[in-house]
Amino acid sequence: MKAIRGVLLTCDSAVKQILLTMNEKQSFIIEDLDDFHVVIKADEEYRVRRELEAELEKNTYSLE
Amino acid sequence: MAGPSIRIKPAGEPSKSTNISGEDSSHRLVAFLQSQSQNTLTRLYQKPSSCLSIFRLLRPLERQLVMNLLWLEMPVPASTMAAWVTREGKRPYHDALATLARLHILPQSPVKHALNPTFKSSMRQAITGGGSSGSFGVLSENDDKHPPPDIEALDAYALERWETILYYMVSSGTGQFPARPSQGVLYLLQRSRLMANVHGNTLQITSAGFQFLLHPPHEQLWELLLQYLQMAEERQMDLVEVLSFLLMLSTTELGKDYSMENLSATQKAMLEDLRDYGLIKQRTATSRRFSPTRLATTLTSSSPPLPTSTGTGNGSQAQGFIVLETNYRLYAYTDNPLQIAVLNLFVTLKSRFPNLVVGQITRESVKKALTNGITADQVISYLITHAHPQMRKNKPLLPVTVQDQIRLWELEKNRVKSQEGYLYTAFASQADYEYVLNYAKQLDVVLWENASRRCFFGSVEGHANIRGFIERRSAAGNA
Repeated sequence: MKAIRGVLLTCDSAVKQILLTMNEKQSFIIEDLDDFHVVIKADEEYRVRRELEAELEKNTYSLE
Repeated sequence: MAGPSIRIKPAGEPSKSTNISGEDSSHRLVAFLQSQSQNTLTRLYQKPSSCLSIFRLLRPLERQLVMNLLWLEMPVPASTMAAWVTREGKRPYHDALATLARLHILPQSPVKHALNPTFKSSMRQAITGGGSSGSFGVLSENDDKHPPPDIEALDAYALERWETILYYMVSSGTGQFPARPSQGVLYLLQRSRLMANVHGNTLQITSAGFQFLLHPPHEQLWELLLQYLQMAEERQMDLVEVLSFLLMLSTTELGKDYSMENLSATQKAMLEDLRDYGLIKQRTATSRRFSPTRLATTLTSSSPPLPTSTGTGNGSQAQGFIVLETNYRLYAYTDNPLQIAVLNLFVTLKSRFPNLVVGQITRESVKKALTNGITADQVISYLITHAHPQMRKNKPLLPVTVQDQIRLWELEKNRVKSQEGYLYTAFASQADYEYVLNYAKQLDVVLWENASRRCFFGSVEGHANIRGFIERRSAAGNA
């Protein structure tokens, strides 16, 4: 038995696919659990959230 | 295992109303009183004015129960009273009894019901008058040299004080430097965590502060006063005296001068704080009399605590000033800097006219509000409370598209949820896995599990316990 420290991300499947692509560039996923859950390294959480935000932002259209 | 699902409230339904007569929730002060000791409350009930004010804050059913029992000399058998209640009324009835018991107004008893004798005699006195306790405040002698201030001056004063506080909050950290409220107010804002000290000594509004700004004035006022009550004990002030003074103020009459003669030392000290909040006005700091403002006299009533806002004075602000269209455009008929600053929290303002501000609710503006800690529901309820009378013809009041979109923007922000913890894997056997998992479930720390992969994710709080559990078990196994 072993215990691995990490952060459990709960997300929708679209976000998960983006996370998987991001992981190929720079690895941060510890364990891919299922369609809605992944465990990532705790100290990478801030960076991952920021990059994910930037990625999602590309998909929105703004009037301004 | 269910994935994250998207749930949107039906837009037509107004979100939880937070007005004073809200049927489903008690007043904030009532909740606070319930946490006080019987001794404190009984001392408080010695004042007729306190009893009357608390009575006014109770919910309708609770008020009816009190009124029914008030004039009875003998206790009523519980069975007799229960016979008044219809079957549907059972739950509200028991809720009301429980609230009154926690307030020690109607001590809990399975056999018979009778009001707390102190409360009963004070409440009777409040209704019938009589007694010379001066519990409702003592009017000061007429003085031709200094007539009491007129109501307009009092309103202007209260409004100026109150808006100074709110405007200071809303413009902190924007580079503007509006008038600072007094040191006491700043301390109170900091203690209530509405503002926090960031780098050095500049106060900055917190996310709780942003939410505070969108509340109706009555609630804002009580939020600060409850904080004040909590501080009172630290300052060695007698809670009962502080409370009974506030409740007395709520029964005073607007536009009258009251004498300080029979106030206790604590209450005299309070005058200075209350002056800063705009609850009372004194001609000079050393004056021997004070006049309550509308903020004080409406503390326990349902009439609005603030008169019409400054500026145009056309009275429309009292009912609302915001027109919101289906194309996300927003027109606000106001020239009040506070209201404009509050709108600026979640609206992109485009143009400004002498009595009108035009803006647009955009994804960016709502996102900014969300990162400040304001929720979509708060934005929507602010828009509903301040909607222009013209908007009230619409049903539902706000365009459904806009409401839904604001909620969707909020969901978009929460697409990823993160929880720290430990992933437990590589169990030797299925039995081993289930044994540890069961233990973790008893602790209620399991966030995710998968039996076929024999692993589960537990929150960080449970880790020490689970580790101890496994160590104890393997030690026992080896022995």
